[in-house]
Amino acid sequence: MATVLGRQRMLCAAVLLALLLVPLSVADPAGAAETPRRGGVLLAVIGADPPSLDPHQESTFANIQLVAPLYSTLLQIDPYEYPKIIGDVATEWKIAPDGLSYTFKIRPGIVFHDGSPLTAADVKATYDKIIFPPEGVRSIRKQAYSAVASVEAPDAGTVVFRLKFPSASLLANLASPWNVIYPKKYLDKDPNYFKTNVVGSGPFKFKSYTRGSSFEGERNPGYFVKDRPYLDGYKFFISPETSVRAAAIRSGRAYIEFRDLPLSEVDAIKKQLGDKVVVQQTPMVGQFGIAMNNTVKPFTDIRVRKALTLGFDRYTAGRVLYPLTGLRDVGPLIRPGTEWALPPAELETIPGFWRDAEKSRAEAKRLLAEAGYPNGLKLVLKNRNVKLPYQDLAVFVIQEWRKIGVEVENRPLETASWFSDGRDTGNFELIIAPTVEFMDEPDQFLNRYTTGAPQNWSRFSDPAVDDLFARQARAVDPVERRKLVHQLQKRVLEQAYYMPGLWWSRRVVHLAKVKNYVAPPSHYTNQKLQDVWLSED
Amino acid sequence: MATRVVLTHGTASATLAPRLTLADEVVKFVRTKPLGAAGAAIILGMLAVAASAHALAPYDPYRADYGLQFARPSLEHWFGTDEFGRDVLSRIMYGARIALFVGFTASFAGCTIGALLGVTSAYLGGKVDLLLERLMDVLLAFPQLILALAIASILGPAVQNVVIAIAIPIIPRAARVVRSAALSVKENVYVEAVHALGASRPRVMLQHIMPNVMAPYIIIVTAQLGSAILAEAALSYLGLGAAEPTPSWGLMLSGSALSYAEKAPWMPIFPGLAISLGVFGFNLFGDSLRDALDPKLRGR
Repeated sequence: MATVLGRQRMLCAAVLLALLLVPLSVADPAGAAETPRRGGVLLAVIGADPPSLDPHQESTFANIQLVAPLYSTLLQIDPYEYPKIIGDVATEWKIAPDGLSYTFKIRPGIVFHDGSPLTAADVKATYDKIIFPPEGVRSIRKQAYSAVASVEAPDAGTVVFRLKFPSASLLANLASPWNVIYPKKYLDKDPNYFKTNVVGSGPFKFKSYTRGSSFEGERNPGYFVKDRPYLDGYKFFISPETSVRAAAIRSGRAYIEFRDLPLSEVDAIKKQLGDKVVVQQTPMVGQFGIAMNNTVKPFTDIRVRKALTLGFDRYTAGRVLYPLTGLRDVGPLIRPGTEWALPPAELETIPGFWRDAEKSRAEAKRLLAEAGYPNGLKLVLKNRNVKLPYQDLAVFVIQEWRKIGVEVENRPLETASWFSDGRDTGNFELIIAPTVEFMDEPDQFLNRYTTGAPQNWSRFSDPAVDDLFARQARAVDPVERRKLVHQLQKRVLEQAYYMPGLWWSRRVVHLAKVKNYVAPPSHYTNQKLQDVWLSED
Repeated sequence: MATRVVLTHGTASATLAPRLTLADEVVKFVRTKPLGAAGAAIILGMLAVAASAHALAPYDPYRADYGLQFARPSLEHWFGTDEFGRDVLSRIMYGARIALFVGFTASFAGCTIGALLGVTSAYLGGKVDLLLERLMDVLLAFPQLILALAIASILGPAVQNVVIAIAIPIIPRAARVVRSAALSVKENVYVEAVHALGASRPRVMLQHIMPNVMAPYIIIVTAQLGSAILAEAALSYLGLGAAEPTPSWGLMLSGSALSYAEKAPWMPIFPGLAISLGVFGFNLFGDSLRDALDPKLRGR
């Protein structure tokens, strides 16, 4: 009895200790409560070069992580509380009772790095470029602003968005980290000016960029947030090799990798550095899947598209790829577990998501034979030459497709060529095409399935999908909107226009001396680094 | 006093050495060049493995066993398994195909083009020689691997592009060696004779000079084989060669193997050994062949 009581006491003590320790370790994962120290340069590693420096025209971490500290946005996601929306250059905003106009007050006294003031005219010019891009200017996310009729700047401190119809997601879309504010005078001269130049109003000023090597920013002493930033600057070292980036952290030559590292590297770093390193693990607002070019044979045939998605055993993939890449969850076109995601019960009735892999493979073979490929077929899968998780996903899926008689050659391309072939020219049969956004928002995630959208890499056109997208964008009632969002996902998946793979998770590894960085579930947000500081050099 | 000189006819006789059979030649090569013979044995072994990989390999090199990821070397998997549970030994056996294919093709193509240019340059001389030699100077100004890297990055990652990328830097090296041999061959009387008989320039070059520069040609082909295999491994290692999941030695050594080297050291060790052994074999054989075919070194 005494032993039992002793055990109970010990158990209680352990539970109490755990209860005490858990808040200590969770509440302050990156040193938010400590007294910040000024100075030092944050050294980071990143896996690719940006195709261009203009975030309006790009959709890769290789762009936003490098340039986000140089710019401001109208609104932003709270760095400490995803997905709460807070102001950046906007101090307050009002939504008209009919939901057809949004009025923002712009903080006075903000100056761009060239010394010119940031006014409402600059915000209007920026959003005109995003929502109504001139000829020859790509705007990746313009479909997400289909509700906007016009952007007005009645005075230097006020911006008004006038809408065609009420939108449930406009505020969230205006908090996009991609919508950085440019000075109007440069846009007037050349709307593509910012593909190769940087003039922002962010906490850091552009210092240098050497392609394939490094990207640097230095402290902006005129930043509009008082006493920020803490850092003297930041520097990214660019290397596509995962092991090189991991080694840089292990040796202390870099302090942080904002995207992800494989579990084995994380374990090795933890083993070597112990409590000198912090790992922040979060789910990820993004998945890695495959675009099939619906305009070229054999993908004009729904049977072939379905066969390929049936031949991809996602459930095994999640188990195998999670430790290697962080790719884990089987899901539809919006992150599983969110209110917008097609529920698992419905998802598992769609070909490609059946639990029985053997049944899926048998059906895939039958469909291929019916489509005229009884002996399988040979295809080329274009890919980005970034190992994590692009190459590992390709290896897995290629090996899976061999089981249904489909021989696929993996062809890695440099980032700019991958974007060019996948997004711009459609020069591919199959291509790894992730859908990663800054927050779980249907407009952001689903606009890529509409006709002619720049993000519609699969290049399909389905009036039913277009109609569902337009209707969900107009639906203010959350229940009605959810229903439409679910219908749209079901339509895209049943027609196998695009092949979702696995939803990602994120392991941000940084040295413990990097303070006040909280990893959100997107590697696009909280990249301004204005609150980040180093406890030692 | 007068001296009387008596002139007489001298007699001389010579007996030709008996012609050696192929078996005798092999025995002689093994006896005189044991290291070269070891190199040849390694090459033959590699060829045999590559040719019969489908029969010898215990598993399909693409077959992933997801229950056996990072398995240690064992009786079932002699060289262990990789991050996808693929058998490392089987992938090395199939990888020999790519190594030998790229090695032989690039070396043969580069040396043949180089030899033709060398003979042309030597025989025609004048402005043609000047132009071709300056072109070769330009190519030789770049280190072999750096030039291959530049070409591969322009052409993009694919096996056929690796062959081209490795073959081009070999061309000037082969051209220089063959040109110097052709310069001395073209001074022979029989060349002048066939020219006087009205043979065309291409005929003189291809039928009368080319066969007589075969010794340096063969030497340079074998000498470049080892470095071509190494270059293929290097390009694949740097992501410019074959792409995953193709079994390639260089590829097996890069990326994943580095990330998992601590967890599964067999992943980089065995492909690394295969590359070393292959290059070692070709270099040993190439050196011995050079000694055997070089008249100045023959018999040593």
